[in-house]
Amino acid sequence: MEHSQKPRSISLPVAVVGRVDLGRLLREVEGLTDFLEQAAIREPGTAQAKMPKTSRLLDQAIEINKLNLLTNDDRNQLRQFLKTVYQEAPVMHMSFSADPSPNFTQKLVAWLRQEIHPFVLLQVGLQPNIGAGCVVRTTNKYFDFSLRERFKAKRPLLIEKMKSFATKVEVKQVEEAHA
Amino acid sequence: MNGWQLGLVLGLMLANAAAFLWLVLSVGTGKAKKDPEGTFADQAERDVEHIFNEEFREELRNRGRLHFEKIIGENAMFLQQDLRLTTSQLNEFMKQEITEKLQEEFAKYEQSIIDAKQMAIDSITKTQAAIEQQRQAMSQQLAQEIATEKQRVVKRFEDNMADIVNHYVLAAIGDQIDLNDQLEYILADLETNKEAIVRDITDGA
Repeated sequence: MEHSQKPRSISLPVAVVGRVDLGRLLREVEGLTDFLEQAAIREPGTAQAKMPKTSRLLDQAIEINKLNLLTNDDRNQLRQFLKTVYQEAPVMHMSFSADPSPNFTQKLVAWLRQEIHPFVLLQVGLQPNIGAGCVVRTTNKYFDFSLRERFKAKRPLLIEKMKSFATKVEVKQVEEAHA
Repeated sequence: MNGWQLGLVLGLMLANAAAFLWLVLSVGTGKAKKDPEGTFADQAERDVEHIFNEEFREELRNRGRLHFEKIIGENAMFLQQDLRLTTSQLNEFMKQEITEKLQEEFAKYEQSIIDAKQMAIDSITKTQAAIEQQRQAMSQQLAQEIATEKQRVVKRFEDNMADIVNHYVLAAIGDQIDLNDQLEYILADLETNKEAIVRDITDGA
């Protein structure tokens, strides 16, 4: 992926989390483009097509990038940007024990795009058995930040504690038996 | 009755018979020899006829018969006594022989029983020894297997107990931890592994 060739002037809103959101945004832009092209070639007196409503995602994209989608340049630039991101942006998979809220997802995406990659997309999964934390899977790596993994790492400590507790119980039983 | 007694009785009987026959024959032959003196002969014959008339002869026959019957009776009595004695002796002998034989057989039977009993005792003793040996071997094997199984169970318990506790804790508190509360820790983990994530995303390494 050639990040240096990307149009840096356009950025993704944090509400666009994954490829699904990106695809939906792309379809909206294309629909808007189609409408505007149809409106340009419409003859007076004929029925006018209904203008598609823009979603909150598109509104945010327009707002943060200061775009005017009535102009072909901005529209084409946004469409090209969305296509490029859709095809080439890195995708991270993160699984949680519960379905995350949009606010949580947006905070997480904001951090990822600030610290990891500006156009990273996130695919959220669900793994109830991890207890807490998350499991991250990138292109080639797997990171387990779950509570289950922490417990697994601390298993020797747990066994040691259980053994010491069992020893104390046995000593107490022996003392009670002698008494 | 012994054999010589029987022989003596028979000898007396034969002697009486011989004397009687000799007397009859001598009377007959005496008449022929004295035929020349016919008168004496006839007289003697008449005397003889007079002495040994039919009644006398019958009396002699009766006496002989009675004597013979007496002798026969006595001999029969002797024979009966001998038979009884012989029978009693034979019974005694048979009883003794049978008793001896029975005692011998009983002794053999008792000895056989004793031998069989001894063999049975030996066999039982050997069987008990074998059973005891087998029991000890099985006890040792069982103890060894129990120890092995105990170690295996303890190891499995130690291995699985951590999973059980972890699973219990995760099941107990997993739902109680809000994701928003976890965000700080998740970001901290991501921050810790940021370089590896960035390197994997940018370089694909």
